[in-house]
Amino acid sequence: MEQEREEEILSAIHHCVKCKLCSIASFHPNAEWLPLCPSGQYYGYQAFYAPGKMEIFRAILEGEITEPSEGLLNSVYACTVCGACYEKCKQITNVELGAPELFEEMRHELASKGWSLDVHKSIAEKIKETKNAYGERYEYKVKEGATDKNADVLYYIGCTARYRVPEIADAMLGIFDKLGLKYQVMDEEWCCGSVLFRTGQVEAAEKLIEHNVEEIRKSGAKTVVFTCPGCMKTFEKDYPDMGVELVHSTQFLTRLGNMNLKKEDLKAAYHDPCHLGRDLGIYEEPRAVLNEVADIKAMKREKEQAWCCGSGGGVKSAFDDFALWSATERLKEAKEAGAEALVSACPFCKRNLKEAAENEELEVYDVVELVNRCLEG
Amino acid sequence: MNETFSKLVKELQAIVGERNATDDRAICTSYSRDQHWHFVPAKNPACVVRPGTKEEVRSVLMLANTHKIPVIPYSTGINVRGLTIPVHDGSILLDLSRMNRILEINPEMKTATVEPGVTFGMLLEQTRKHKLRPAFPDAPLTVSVLANYYLRGIYQTSATDGHDHTISYEMILPNGETLKTGSRALSEMPYFRYGVGPDFAGMFGAHPGTCGVVTELTAKLYRLYDNRKEYFIGFDDVGTPTEFIYNLMHDELAASIRLVDNQSWLEGIFGTFDYAYEKLPKFVVCVLVEGVDGIFEARDTLVRKYMNESGGQVLELPAEFARTFEDECLGGAEKSCMVFGLPGKGNYHCIGLYGPLTLAAKYYEVHEKTALEVGIPKDHIHFYIDPIYSFHGQLCYFELDVFYDGSDAGFGEKLRNYNDKQFHRLLDLGIYGWFRPYAGIIEPTAERIGYLAEVWKKFLHVLDPNEIMNRGKLF
Repeated sequence: MEQEREEEILSAIHHCVKCKLCSIASFHPNAEWLPLCPSGQYYGYQAFYAPGKMEIFRAILEGEITEPSEGLLNSVYACTVCGACYEKCKQITNVELGAPELFEEMRHELASKGWSLDVHKSIAEKIKETKNAYGERYEYKVKEGATDKNADVLYYIGCTARYRVPEIADAMLGIFDKLGLKYQVMDEEWCCGSVLFRTGQVEAAEKLIEHNVEEIRKSGAKTVVFTCPGCMKTFEKDYPDMGVELVHSTQFLTRLGNMNLKKEDLKAAYHDPCHLGRDLGIYEEPRAVLNEVADIKAMKREKEQAWCCGSGGGVKSAFDDFALWSATERLKEAKEAGAEALVSACPFCKRNLKEAAENEELEVYDVVELVNRCLEG
Repeated sequence: MNETFSKLVKELQAIVGERNATDDRAICTSYSRDQHWHFVPAKNPACVVRPGTKEEVRSVLMLANTHKIPVIPYSTGINVRGLTIPVHDGSILLDLSRMNRILEINPEMKTATVEPGVTFGMLLEQTRKHKLRPAFPDAPLTVSVLANYYLRGIYQTSATDGHDHTISYEMILPNGETLKTGSRALSEMPYFRYGVGPDFAGMFGAHPGTCGVVTELTAKLYRLYDNRKEYFIGFDDVGTPTEFIYNLMHDELAASIRLVDNQSWLEGIFGTFDYAYEKLPKFVVCVLVEGVDGIFEARDTLVRKYMNESGGQVLELPAEFARTFEDECLGGAEKSCMVFGLPGKGNYHCIGLYGPLTLAAKYYEVHEKTALEVGIPKDHIHFYIDPIYSFHGQLCYFELDVFYDGSDAGFGEKLRNYNDKQFHRLLDLGIYGWFRPYAGIIEPTAERIGYLAEVWKKFLHVLDPNEIMNRGKLF
């Protein structure tokens, strides 16, 4: 790490006074104690809360920690890098360097020493071989003749919607079809590289970026639509400017205006995906779209202070028990709000929440699924 | 880690479960430092243990006592004065945050009984259902109720709650025995402090460390009132408002009073950085009045009378400031942590002390003088006063603050110089006592307390003969 960057990081670490207010949602004015840090709440040791993690990072940079112990790898990687701690800290202290940025930098530092988790290395290998994060060797099929190579809109599907929750991709394509909108998909869509950035394996993403940028430029599209906020964040923050507009599905749908949606008699809670909300600042459009198709029930922890589903940051692949526990906590909150369904706008959230809800009387959807269902087709 | 210690970790895991004890280097590192690191250097515990029950605490202590291993109790981990940073090699960090049950809220008795991991936020969430609240420290609401009351049962955010919020508690000693204080020793009713024999709760209170592990504590709760009114009055110096404060305290009129210099804690009390604080007078007295109908109106009338006679400037401030001031004083501090975000000086150093209001101007004078002498810029020097009910001895809490950039090692040196001089000067000037056992404070203090130091040592020896407990760097 360059010295200037190291000094910047150490300075931010020294400014943390360890008040741990970052571990709870804003207490006032309702005087409710609502935990905000899934990792700290689940594992308990100080190492799993933001102040403890910062202390570990300091010790790495100052050469006090020289071996990748199990506790080191767990405390660094059993964190969804959801950024809730930062949102809370930012409100109170104007902190200069965000915790997610700090923690991703820490992972990069660890990865540069070869201290990555085997499961994360394996994902990087799969991406290298198959160009998707799940190592699948088949292609997600888009209905023949449905796409238009000259369309201004390109739908970037993403690995999770292609291979783990295809109902989201199906729904988005269904919406395009039902609304008669022209769209295209990439001939050869490669993983965006999000999981590599989140797990510190930054260099491994270079070729993916190169390929995807080239494909999008070739497509001539003016707008790229994402159902996956993780992909969209990566395009926004880590890709060069391609001169195209990047929009989330909910932004795209909001702009369409009246879609003739048939509102269902469904009480639904909206779960803010971390990448969509805290990272990209998109809170209102998903709610606006959901409000067209269901009756929204507000949960206690929302928007900047939403509880993470537990899936991101490489956690689902490495710490599934923790991921499912976090999701279960969210399901409880949705039920307390009186919801019959928990709706998100991210395939990664949906996958984990759905898995946790297997034995629950609570449906889990992505908002585009409901929109597709409510469209007069 | 040597073989003997590895064996010990296995034994600790057998007590608390494998998941709850570890000697992992990184996990231990996360407990190695707090905000006071310019004074108390980082040091790793040798292992961290997280008991879930008092029986587990007892077993851990007995094991540590047998092997004469130092034990550092740690409640919720919001410590800013180096009190839970190990002093000795090979220490066990006893993280009590799993023990976070509110054992009882008794609205009839106006008490709450809690375990060490219960925070002020957790407790208020429950007590407010009964229109009650705890007495709050001027600390984030993430701090432990038990640890704060045990360490120093006196708090200052409310002028009417007074001191001694602790009623009774239960402490497990290094030999595994349980010591119960007050009426708790005699019956199942832990509601009276002066139950049998000497006031042991008092003997441990204000101790800079501990002789055992307090596993449950019963504390007083206080009324929450619907009627509230806030006033903010500006002054140009510290001395002038003391008569106003004296009148309010003497007549027992205000629920909260804070005299604060306007460039420091006002951001937190008012809950925003976005205000031109520099336009306000140099010192501001914040006053909160509350009470039931009738009494509230009468108090309010008298407060306004004293306010108008005070010679201060009654300030018209945005309405939302008042709500935040209420929350910070009587609802658990959250916004006052904004001082951590002051540009270029987001870390804070303080000496908190108890003394009489009559010395307010002198404390401020010596604070400013010493800080300037050691090269601390004037705009980093801050100060506030909270008077404490029932004001016998004109009891006030004084906080001499310096806000600084914690990443600036040179500033750390200035602060150490400041402390070296200031402890002696304050002792010479006359104080009632220190708020915290700040690093370097014990030595100049112990030499002035005569035979008390000898008795104190003997007392500690009886309860902890192997000296395994964290005594707060005392003797």
